[in-house]
Amino acid sequence: MEALQIILAGSLVAIACGLLGCFLILRKMAMVGDAISHAVLPGIVLAFLFTGSRDSVTMLIGAGAIGILTTFLIEFFHKKGRLQTDASIGVTFTWLFAVGVILISVFAGKVDLDQDCVLYGEIAYVPLDLWITDSGQIMGPRVLYITGTVLIILIAFISLGYKELFLTTFDPAYASAIGISTAVWHYLLMGAVSLTTVASFESVGAILVVALLIAPPATAYLLTENLKKMLLITSLLGVVISAVGYYLAAWFDGSIAGAMASVAGLLFMLAFLLSPTNGLIAKHRRKKAILKPSGV
Amino acid sequence: MIKHVDNPVLEVHDLTVSYDRKPVLWDIDLTLPAGKLIGIVGPNGAGKSTLIKSVMGLTPNSSGYVKLFDKDLKQVRDRISYVPQRESVDWDFPASALDVVLMGRYGKLGLFKRPRKADRDIALDSLQKVGMDAYAGRQISQLSGGQQQRVFLARALAQQADLYFMDEPFAGVDAATEKAIIEILREMSAKGNTVIVVHHDLQSVTQYFDWVILLNMRLVGSGPTSEVFTTELLQETYGGKLTLLSDVGDLIRRERFPNREQFDKAQKPK
Repeated sequence: MEALQIILAGSLVAIACGLLGCFLILRKMAMVGDAISHAVLPGIVLAFLFTGSRDSVTMLIGAGAIGILTTFLIEFFHKKGRLQTDASIGVTFTWLFAVGVILISVFAGKVDLDQDCVLYGEIAYVPLDLWITDSGQIMGPRVLYITGTVLIILIAFISLGYKELFLTTFDPAYASAIGISTAVWHYLLMGAVSLTTVASFESVGAILVVALLIAPPATAYLLTENLKKMLLITSLLGVVISAVGYYLAAWFDGSIAGAMASVAGLLFMLAFLLSPTNGLIAKHRRKKAILKPSGV
Repeated sequence: MIKHVDNPVLEVHDLTVSYDRKPVLWDIDLTLPAGKLIGIVGPNGAGKSTLIKSVMGLTPNSSGYVKLFDKDLKQVRDRISYVPQRESVDWDFPASALDVVLMGRYGKLGLFKRPRKADRDIALDSLQKVGMDAYAGRQISQLSGGQQQRVFLARALAQQADLYFMDEPFAGVDAATEKAIIEILREMSAKGNTVIVVHHDLQSVTQYFDWVILLNMRLVGSGPTSEVFTTELLQETYGGKLTLLSDVGDLIRRERFPNREQFDKAQKPK
């Protein structure tokens, strides 16, 4: 039962991150996902200080707002300061992350957060952290409710805005020309990334969220040439990563989040080597097949 | 030589565009007739792409205004289509040719609605018009440059607009594709659509366009090709690049061969 709950929580987080990651990597904004996942830290701590709890919606919104502020700052430094995008990302998120680290250390006594937990997460505690209603009824692990809700919101967002996300990702100039605002969809997507990161930090931690944002979509990208299939494969990978990661961690008695991210990396390597279309081995074979008939 | 027309399909008034306070377009004032195939010609950095982008509201204008069909851009967006430069997008994108052409229908669909069968039919029909129906399901990175350009053109056709802006549709395509594309553009203008093309190959200007806009930061000329595409105005547009210009002079003479023949005939009786 506990194993199932942990795997379920991991899957929900991995699917949510992966779906957004598909759009991030196609927009060449993978590192913005990295930036947001770190920069929401001060938001998490501040929201915690004000509300005193970890499960409030206020916290999701507060930290989500900091995430959007991060993307805004990145754009701002890039456009107004004429700084390269990567430099702009580097300056913005490290600074916000550092503020978060200071806040945690200063308010360590008042805040029920510790740096290790925020950075690396602890998915093993999922079954222990129960949602108990005021009347005393036990509803099950709290994290499952949070990540489940976030995933439902995300799926609704992506299926309703699919064609706009598709078009603004592929050809922003044409999108603006036919009257679809690229800025609106950019910030909606970034808002979704912030929300997902904040909802995921307890289970997999701020750093390993990045692995789930990028590795499964990158793997799926190598396996298909259709965006809808890419989203689907990414979701399946999320479940596989979560399950295999859990049993791997149980087997050598290590960090579950770490094992999940390692499995994600391993699957990427496999796709890189074995993909029928883009894989290294398939490419090598095709090269041979072309060379052979011509070689007399 | 700037010729103005009545009932213009596009009116640009005192348009100035600058990046970082450096003007890219300076005080452009022009009107364009409907139903013509129009070429925008000028040296690199003359602001040709910027002109069509600012007309479509993709870059902010420093001053001046633009009217399309005598209305503001927002009121007539669905009557305008755009073919961006082919290199402006990443073709390694998980999408098929049909997916890209279907994007032409998005503006008409509105928010939250998915393309229906009627939209797919229009998209397939557009692919057929550019001779790409056999490649509808092909992933776009597997298409050649010319085929990619045809897909972009099909997307614009699927929009069923009245006014089309095209940014260098002939860049990096083979001769056969160039011929196929110009045929389609001619058909479009014959049907009463206006097609405005950013073009850099001076050799084909007289063959392709009814109307020419000569641009080098400011507007040098705008009018029917035979009146505007002259050595003097080209010299003014291209500045001191003399070797190129003498070539152009040759070109103009050669391309107006029929005219010269008439000229010769007129001279002969003497």
